[in-house]
Amino acid sequence: MMVPVRCFSCGRPIASEYNAFISRINLIRETENREPTTEEIQKIFDDLGIKRYCCRRMILSHVELIDDVMPFD
Amino acid sequence: MELNILTLEDRYAKFEIKGITPAIANALRRTLINDIPKLAIHKVIFHHGQIRDMQGKVYDSSTPLFDEIIAHRLGLIPLPTDLNMNFREDCDHPPDEGCPMCTVTYTLNKHGPATVYSGDLIPVGDEKFRPVDPLIPIVKLKDTQAILLEAEAILGTAKQHAKWQVTSGVAYKYHREIEVDKEESDLWEKVKEACPDAVVYEDSKKIIFTDDVECKLLAELISFENPVIREDDTWFVFQFETDGSLTAKDVLKYAITRLKNRFSHLRESASLG
Repeated sequence: MMVPVRCFSCGRPIASEYNAFISRINLIRETENREPTTEEIQKIFDDLGIKRYCCRRMILSHVELIDDVMPFD
Repeated sequence: MELNILTLEDRYAKFEIKGITPAIANALRRTLINDIPKLAIHKVIFHHGQIRDMQGKVYDSSTPLFDEIIAHRLGLIPLPTDLNMNFREDCDHPPDEGCPMCTVTYTLNKHGPATVYSGDLIPVGDEKFRPVDPLIPIVKLKDTQAILLEAEAILGTAKQHAKWQVTSGVAYKYHREIEVDKEESDLWEKVKEACPDAVVYEDSKKIIFTDDVECKLLAELISFENPVIREDDTWFVFQFETDGSLTAKDVLKYAITRLKNRFSHLRESASLG
């Protein structure tokens, strides 16, 4: 559904960085017409200050389903 | 005992303490994790039924997420904390009531189509209690939906619930010295060039590095060559991050005072027996 507010493992707030991450990814997709490389994704995480891999997986593995669910409530 | 601050940012601190035992270091770590008070939303009252806006348009109070989930998400939002406030159980009034010394009240009123963010939470009274991060998404609303609620935030510690957890990634390690024989090693010159801060001692035959400062090449040297590694179990390098409800400096100050008080309490109790 919506992105979790905090990292499940360490408790760092990550929800506000999710949108920033997605817009940076989409910028690469739109301007260069390709998927971002692992190095670029790593760079984005470093810029956002998300250091630990527990917080990184929260964002990488999240699927935003709220728009699919909204018509059914 | 000697404490040196290595890095101090608003939400991040790295420091070293010399001359303590692992037991004391761990006590400090655990205090930093679960004994720092902070504000978090604890009670949410939802308005159920029709909600009207200024133009008289009628909205429905239903949302795509259950009220429980919204309340949980609200609880996890970091709120700026005033450490001069009281815990609710330390106030004189009955525990189910609140007063300005122990409670901060928030309201949230938004109609769709919109995404509700933490920035939409309005503190009743002092503006300084606005959420630190205004961009945490809480729920999405359709064009016929609206949300109207009142929330109470109280002080708590992470012993009770993770929403009162101020710090994350609290860790310490021993100070390590890595002694490299210059004749046996090929990498030492590169490491010295890349991380001049990591050099502790150097003479014509050997060079000693420390991994207190981050250095990728030094990690490479440790795994590919066989340097002599010495650990000092009285010298600790700590680091932690905060969620923004308190600054790293305030957290560290509070933790040390808290630990001191608990130890003196223990000492008193032991001498009485």
